[in-house]
Amino acid sequence: MFTANTARVIGRSVPVMEGAELDGARPDSDAAPDVASLLPMLRRIVFSRVGNEAAAEDLVQETLVKVLAAANRIEPGMLEPYAITTARHVIASMWRSQDTQRRNQHRVVGMDHVDAPDERLLKEEERAAVSAALEHLSEREQQTLLAHEVSGQDMRSLATELNTTAGAVAAQLNRTRARMRVEYLLALHDAEPPTDRCRPVLYAISGGDRRRQREVDAARHVLECELCAKLSEPLLERRPEGENEITIRIQHDADVVRARKSARELATRLDFSRTDLTLIATAVSEIARNIVRFAAKGQVYIELVDQPRPGIRIVARDSGPGIPDIDQALADGYSTYNGLGLGLPGARRLMDEFTLTSEINVGTTVTMTKWRTEG
Amino acid sequence: MDEGPGLVSILRQGDNLIASIHTALDDSEMVRFQRNLIEQIGRDRARGVIIDVAALDVLDSFGARTLRTLAEMARLRGAETVIVGIQPDVAFSMVALGLGTGTVHTALDLEEGLAYLGGTHSLPAPDGTEPHFRP
Repeated sequence: MFTANTARVIGRSVPVMEGAELDGARPDSDAAPDVASLLPMLRRIVFSRVGNEAAAEDLVQETLVKVLAAANRIEPGMLEPYAITTARHVIASMWRSQDTQRRNQHRVVGMDHVDAPDERLLKEEERAAVSAALEHLSEREQQTLLAHEVSGQDMRSLATELNTTAGAVAAQLNRTRARMRVEYLLALHDAEPPTDRCRPVLYAISGGDRRRQREVDAARHVLECELCAKLSEPLLERRPEGENEITIRIQHDADVVRARKSARELATRLDFSRTDLTLIATAVSEIARNIVRFAAKGQVYIELVDQPRPGIRIVARDSGPGIPDIDQALADGYSTYNGLGLGLPGARRLMDEFTLTSEINVGTTVTMTKWRTEG
Repeated sequence: MDEGPGLVSILRQGDNLIASIHTALDDSEMVRFQRNLIEQIGRDRARGVIIDVAALDVLDSFGARTLRTLAEMARLRGAETVIVGIQPDVAFSMVALGLGTGTVHTALDLEEGLAYLGGTHSLPAPDGTEPHFRP
């Protein structure tokens, strides 16, 4: 096969070949231009049979060389058919050799596992991250974790050793693992949290502790802090969302539709009436649109609640500019974009409970609940 | 058409265009639909437009507003619009939200919509001129 380099050389040298020292070629002045004029036709023939452009160009060049070499043997006027036939043969022989190669492929596969060049580096990085993470734990935590995970010591014997109960050891191990995951991610990204709030928030997310997450207002912090947003993703992936909750990121128009569909789906499980389902979906649509319009980025969290009654709660958070005058925003007909001014007040009318908190340059949180009416 | 396959279909029947929305549209798709329909009104010289929203499970403030402006734009282009197929639950939530379709005519279903448009079209213009204003 020819490289692109050869291709260029031949393509350019053909038209000016008078007296060129091509082996076997007569210094015939019109044979060479003839061959060059075959190029477009050959390209067409070969390209139509071979999809890969680079391979096709190689074949065209190979054909040209064969035709050139034979140019002095070909009767005048027969150059074109000769070239076509040659091209076909060249293509056929390429296919044949590909077939052979494919047939024999499995025989030349090496069974030894060869380390990819980056594999060792990745392992190295991982080891460094793990040990960095371990250093952040207290000595007692380290020992307990290693005894359980590495040496395989069971909870009960650990508990007697530490003079406590197996449950306490398990809880402690869970907390340690949660912190370990966070520290590991921090070390892997080579990052130091920008604020004091980051670590507690990440620990709470990593541990999957709902109450603690609410205490430190984890959801809002994740919206504001870029590092925590990035790190919380793998932490959240670990723990699949429960059946009765879902979080939807809101950024584009299409997310609004996604949010209201998810809300409807979740609400269907609680046997809301069809009308209520529509009301809920409409309210979610309105507040999700507000996020896209005003904040550009945010999330809608939907959960089913059963205290004090079965219902659905929607929390929409954004990290937008905030609402300067909440009373005005909740008044009918007030609109800052060309809307009907029914977004927030409308959503409030559709739901049973509705609270809005907003802080300038921090963001807005809308919490709304619809209770299922009995019977 | 740039609105993807199957979201909306716009069919021509005689003087009327029948636009059926097949699935939930997001805001930008809604606006694109609005633009396409207005263009097609001019291209097909349509006199009536029926918008079938039976497949929509939600008509929120933006959706309702878009339909309203669409009808007003169509009117300026010389075509009358009828919105058909608003689901009962959707109607309920629109009222709860404080929404209406304004002065846009609505009908229960496609058949009623066509009947309405047929009735208004068959009125002969007094002196044989175009009964509708065309810009």
